[in-house]
Amino acid sequence: MTKKNHKFVADLLTYTVLIGGAIVMIVPFIWMISVSFRVPAQQYARILIPNPVTFQNYVNLIKDLPDNAFLFLTANSFKLSILMVIGQVLTCSMAAFVFAVCKFRARNLLFALLLGTMMIPSQVSLIPNFIIFKYLGLIGSQWPLILPGFWGGAFGTFLLRQYFLTIPRDLVDAARMDGASFFGIFWKIYLPLAKPAIAALAIFVFKDAWNDLLHPLVYLPTDMHQTTLTVGLAFFQQQLVMGGKFTVLMAGAFLSILPLLIVFFFAQKQFIEGVALTGMKR
Amino acid sequence: MNYGLKPFGRERIWLWLMLVPTLIGLAFGTVGSLLATLGLSFFDWDLINPPQWAGISNYAALLQNKDYIEAFVNTLKFSAEYVPGVVIISLIIAVLLNRKIRGISIFRTIYFLPTVTSAVAAALVWNMIYGKDTGILNLGLESLGLSPICWLCSEHAMFSVVIVNVWGAIGEGMIIFLAGLTAIPRDYYEVASIDGASDLQKFFHITLPLITPSIFFQTLISAINAFQAYDYIYMLTRRGQGNSTVPVAVYSIYRNAFNFFRMGDASAQAIQLALLVAVFMLIMFWWERHYVVYE
Amino acid sequence: MKKLLFVLLIACLVLAACGTAPAATKGPVEISFMMWGAPEELAVWQAVVDDFHAANPNITVKVDVSDWDSYWAKLNTLIAGGTPPDVFAMDAPLFLDWQSRGALLNLQPYIDATPGFLDGFYPQTLTAYKTSDGYYGLPRDFQSIVLFYNKDMFDAAGQAYPTANWTYADLLAAAKALTLDTNSDGKTEQYGLWTDTWDMELLWSEAIWAYGGEIISADHTKTLIGEGPARDAWAYIDSLYKEGVMPTPTTSGEYGSDLFQSGMAAMTTIGHWAVPGYVQAGINFDVAPMPKGPAGQATSVNSAGFVLSKDTKNADAAFAFVKFALSDAGQKRLAELGFAIPVLKSVAESDSYLKQPGTLNQQVFLDSIAFAHMKPVFKGYEEWAAVVGDGLTPVFDGEAELGPTLDEVVKSADVILANNQ
Repeated sequence: MTKKNHKFVADLLTYTVLIGGAIVMIVPFIWMISVSFRVPAQQYARILIPNPVTFQNYVNLIKDLPDNAFLFLTANSFKLSILMVIGQVLTCSMAAFVFAVCKFRARNLLFALLLGTMMIPSQVSLIPNFIIFKYLGLIGSQWPLILPGFWGGAFGTFLLRQYFLTIPRDLVDAARMDGASFFGIFWKIYLPLAKPAIAALAIFVFKDAWNDLLHPLVYLPTDMHQTTLTVGLAFFQQQLVMGGKFTVLMAGAFLSILPLLIVFFFAQKQFIEGVALTGMKR
Repeated sequence: MNYGLKPFGRERIWLWLMLVPTLIGLAFGTVGSLLATLGLSFFDWDLINPPQWAGISNYAALLQNKDYIEAFVNTLKFSAEYVPGVVIISLIIAVLLNRKIRGISIFRTIYFLPTVTSAVAAALVWNMIYGKDTGILNLGLESLGLSPICWLCSEHAMFSVVIVNVWGAIGEGMIIFLAGLTAIPRDYYEVASIDGASDLQKFFHITLPLITPSIFFQTLISAINAFQAYDYIYMLTRRGQGNSTVPVAVYSIYRNAFNFFRMGDASAQAIQLALLVAVFMLIMFWWERHYVVYE
Repeated sequence: MKKLLFVLLIACLVLAACGTAPAATKGPVEISFMMWGAPEELAVWQAVVDDFHAANPNITVKVDVSDWDSYWAKLNTLIAGGTPPDVFAMDAPLFLDWQSRGALLNLQPYIDATPGFLDGFYPQTLTAYKTSDGYYGLPRDFQSIVLFYNKDMFDAAGQAYPTANWTYADLLAAAKALTLDTNSDGKTEQYGLWTDTWDMELLWSEAIWAYGGEIISADHTKTLIGEGPARDAWAYIDSLYKEGVMPTPTTSGEYGSDLFQSGMAAMTTIGHWAVPGYVQAGINFDVAPMPKGPAGQATSVNSAGFVLSKDTKNADAAFAFVKFALSDAGQKRLAELGFAIPVLKSVAESDSYLKQPGTLNQQVFLDSIAFAHMKPVFKGYEEWAAVVGDGLTPVFDGEAELGPTLDEVVKSADVILANNQ
């Protein structure tokens, strides 16, 4: 086969697989959106485009939540998630740098300990953590949801460490020869080069914080103005699930992920830029 | 691996300064998660009265607890299907997306969508999709002339649940692998092309070795997620107020802690799960030392 | 660059500071009240709280309402963490689990201080909360299980409505006539009956009692659901599934968790708490007493109650709130809610309850008390119920045999009872 044919077959295979996979990825969302715009009588109908199309499900959802609760819930979720992202990016990147690049005696022990914290599922550590926060006098405030973002994390540190390890040592040596400081190497060389990984971390952290149900449930009063969107929706969902009101449920589900999608689009742009930059540099 | 950077003299303080937040977190996490759970596993605690010493009776009870054994075995089965599924599929997708093809950002967005969704929202949709009489999966099967399958009945529940979890995790793996793939300098490929290497050869001799850091990371994280899987399984397979058709370890742990007043048992189960994770981590780190290539 | 870092950190601190201070404005006394419920209940409880506050300006009540699952997760965490709510809602069957572990405050001193306080209550509702040294909780409202039927579906099939003389055989016959595959695609579009068979409350306890069996021994050491007439009751329930008039547990998950509400079933057995949901869904329905079995008519009575945490720092204020909710004024408000039946006879038999909006025959719920059995209350209830419910579900899904499974389940259930003596 000529080179051109070879490339054609390879491309054909590539597109087939990608498109096939993409369909599997996206069908649930298409279904979700489709059902959310239907009238209840048609919720099981095997059609794609609803006829008639109705916004009533969304209207009901927002109306059912008392006075603008939806805005408060979304704002609370947003604020806590953003704080978590900032905290994690800053603290995990610093720790990842040290773990990836420095040699010091306690390194392996600390890293092992860090990985160890990943071994206990969050449902189990919920109560011990709560007790610790109680002794710190922080129950009743939002600090138990904010502080953990700023004291590092196993996942973020691990992720960035892997990425930092792939950055070639000669860059560091060259910088050293130019007289760069320790922190300067981190801030001016490693961080910028790690943009793709940092963008990825930001997305993951935001998503986990946004979708967290247990922690806001327990640390925040279950008040429609003070808690997060996940808790608020869980409260309403039970009624809807009981009645099999899937149209409203889908509308609620879609609303709960909409902000995430928006954030993702913005972070994705960063991601593309980061990728392009590193591509050029190399 | 060659760690080369040594902070000079006074710079040493920067090393520790940068670690301080993580150290605080470590203290909290070690005490609050590891030690607390380990400690509680030796007690019986009903959450209301002070814990009572129980020695190793909780651990002994594990071996006799049919429900927990079933849950543990399910966790292993689930992980065995889930981890290879996620790692291999997301690697393939990432490699394909790394070629110069059109519409890359659209593809990337679509593949990432499931990861961005909350498990609750996604589970609601999949519940509809898997419906025996009303779901679109069976609709598809019927239109092909095949008979409908009861996706969420005990027979197929495990498989159905694995699919949903894999669906939700491919995006994450794809991002990790893409980040790793872009770190591979393009000149390597160019040089290989000049030497006449085929695409497949390039993949096996350049891409694969250089992406082992990401494979290592992704496999480990996927395994931990698999061992601790809970959300999707809970939402899709729970029968009323009761158990699930596919109970997994965390399911049992949660019920013991929050429904049965048995925090001690829940902690013992969590420790056993943690040991499983630890063993897997050791295996992965052994693999890292021998097979993972850093530049 | 370092400036950016600095600015970012300051911004974080500012953001974090916003709203981290507890939002409550403290009055002289503030008590917390936690309960599970539907969003509509939140609104009415807020009204009760406001009424209470108007009558007691120095006490502020913070209401915290969650869905059932979130409620217990949060309650357990708060109690384990040593910050329990002052007043919280308790389901009668679970009452002993909490009381026996010393989590609750003994209310007897307060009751003794208010002579005649309990006189107006339906006595059956009080028994669950009474222990040898007094009352550790008080019922807030109660539920009796009755048969709901969809009038439109009955009319369409030409079936006569259920009467107070129905037997379980009548129920099965009607259910068969009302199970329809309207477009002959092999799938049932309408089921004759839907109910939950995991927990005993909605059907199987009533059936066992109506067939002459028992659930548990009086000293809570032996599980009796596999003895004698009880097995006939189970055979009946199994036949409901085998005849296809009830969707299997796994199938019903497809349609939401209440098929009567989603319009997929012609009948259901459930309590008053479902009424507002059905009304909102626009179902044209009415109620009849539970059918008779070979040994007579039986239904189940359950209640949700108030309990005070043993460690509450505001016991007096907390009890004052409970007293208010159990007074005429409070109970009237709750009756209007429509979720449950008031525990005060005077209110239950008054217009506030009987003349609620809707064409429902409210009297049926009250009449059912005459032949109602209390839902069993014992330590280890939740674990026991889980063993039985989980154990029998495969039978109803058609994956296991009733006889042997029932034997196994009874054995495992007895183990739980033994562990909780």
